[in-house]
Amino acid sequence: MKIPSQIFGTLAAACMMAGVLPQRASAQVSTNDFDALKKIVEQMGDRLQKLEQTHAQDQKTHEQDQQVILQLQKQLGETQTAVTNAQQTANTVAQVQSTYPVPGASQGPMHNVTLAGDAEVQFGKTAGQHSAFELADFAPIFLYRASDDVLFEAGFDIMLNNNTDVNGNRAPGSSTSVNLSFATLDYLLNDYMTLEAGEMLLPLGTYNERNAGWLNKIPDDPLVCDDLIPGSGVGVQLRGAIPVGESGQMVTYSAYAVNGPSSGASNSIADAGALDLAGNVGDTPNWHANPSGGGRIGWFYPWKPHYDFELGLSGQTGAWSDSGNRSWSAGVVDAALHLGPNIEVKGQYIDTWVETDDIGKIDPKGWYLQAAYKLAGLGLEMPYINNFELVGRYDRENDDGLFGGGAGVTKTDRYTTGIVYYFSSTLLFEADYEWWVSHGPSPQPFNGPGAPTSFVLQLSYGF
Amino acid sequence: MSTTNQLISIKGGRRPGILLALLASVIFASSIAIFAGPDTNAPPAQVSDAKADAAKQAKKVKKKKLTGAELYQLNCNRCHAERYPTEFTPAQWKTIMIHMRVRANLPAAQAREILKYLQEDSGN
Ligand code: HEC
Repeated sequence: MKIPSQIFGTLAAACMMAGVLPQRASAQVSTNDFDALKKIVEQMGDRLQKLEQTHAQDQKTHEQDQQVILQLQKQLGETQTAVTNAQQTANTVAQVQSTYPVPGASQGPMHNVTLAGDAEVQFGKTAGQHSAFELADFAPIFLYRASDDVLFEAGFDIMLNNNTDVNGNRAPGSSTSVNLSFATLDYLLNDYMTLEAGEMLLPLGTYNERNAGWLNKIPDDPLVCDDLIPGSGVGVQLRGAIPVGESGQMVTYSAYAVNGPSSGASNSIADAGALDLAGNVGDTPNWHANPSGGGRIGWFYPWKPHYDFELGLSGQTGAWSDSGNRSWSAGVVDAALHLGPNIEVKGQYIDTWVETDDIGKIDPKGWYLQAAYKLAGLGLEMPYINNFELVGRYDRENDDGLFGGGAGVTKTDRYTTGIVYYFSSTLLFEADYEWWVSHGPSPQPFNGPGAPTSFVLQLSYGF
Repeated sequence: MSTTNQLISIKGGRRPGILLALLASVIFASSIAIFAGPDTNAPPAQVSDAKADAAKQAKKVKKKKLTGAELYQLNCNRCHAERYPTEFTPAQWKTIMIHMRVRANLPAAQAREILKYLQEDSGN
């Protein structure tokens, strides 16, 4: 500061004068001079007073400044506390929400639940038996999309059944059965691979994966798809498609591990009759150690809209009983051909190899071929006619002793002809007639009298 | 269904006639394929120059990326009857297309194109 040094300077000068000047004054200084000097001293005193006043004022200002600073400091402290509090709150909120942003979490509503599925009502008559109406199936599918790449799908089969007693004879009343046909979590890992886990329809051929009621042109399943391979299994699967060129051609693949067939007996005995293809869902004793592995590789070749060919090779293998290390394996070839919107031919060949305790290694196998023709292809200008489709199917199965055990081999041929009438693309009426030729200890469709023919009418609706 | 009665077994065994008929129908089907093979939209070629031009054009058309609508036509009615865009909302289509992509093993890029097409023409 400049003020104190000025004050000191002035004071020092005054003292010096006061000490020196009187000696001189007593000797030589005149009254005039003394007065002049006195005036100077007085003026200096005034100045000093003024300076002191200024200093006092400065001090006051300084004190005021100090107060302002204190106040500011206080306010700063308060602000800081507020900030800290806010930060803490933010941290707590962040901890509640998630500690780390989930990959792929995008903005906007992502969840969606969609209900799909199908329902069938049947009227059936098999020779030698009484005809009956039947609610064949109500099969809702719940699709729950959790994000852009996660889907949960669950399909049920809900059926009404007449009650029966323990011997299989008719008992009063009816009951409802609910089956879980599939329930999987699908996670799209990337553009070429999807992970599926849960109760899955198995890609052994294509029929079992693509057989919802409104997709089928004939109400019942091909014999081999029903009898020789499991339709579903509990496990995990990786699947996907790789496009080939730009024309829509593609190669598809799936590879899976499931519990696999097991022995349905209450011990691990691996007799042919004990083979339980799809019952092994994990909550009952599992009579073998390792899961079964399987997969399918497919080729889809379209050459113009509605003209395409699909060929698939698939298989599964694994032990079905550790007793004697018995294995069950299957190999399947499937093919489908579309020649325009009105002609479809498809079929499947299935070969299985089963090791058993009682009849050794057996080789149940068979195939089916189905052809369909939409009358719209005739180009007739008649009402209703364009909504009809004609269908024919041939089934062949050789159980190689699987169902009859040691009693021998059963061979079955079945011929099916039918029509489909489309009320809409998903409301179908089907009428089919079937002839059976079955020989062996376990003849199909039943072990009874009468010509084994059956007649089935079905109304099916996909929603 | 079950009865306790006995089966009247049908004699006759194999029926080679049926197999022959099936074989015939497969041959019939493939012959249709061969006849239906050539693209009916291709312009009729009178002069050899025009023929070459048409071939060039066909090549170009083939190389062009397929649109969502075209991919829909190729894929969406081979396993089941066609489902129309107006049947579902855009959000439902998004869900169903994940389902179809997994169930039908559709390549992702194609599934996205088809979804775009379905959502543009969707119901509400
Ligand atoms: C490889 C066969 C296959 C192809 C190709 C296919 N679907 Fe499907 N689709 C199915 C099956 C099987 C179902 C029955 C649902 C089930 O069993 O889970 C179905 C069901 C549906 C349903 C009913 C709702 C649902 O999700 O169940 C719609 C809508 C549908 N498909 C649309 C399409 C569209 C659009 C395409 C073209 C991208 C397509 N499908 C291609 C097999 C196929």
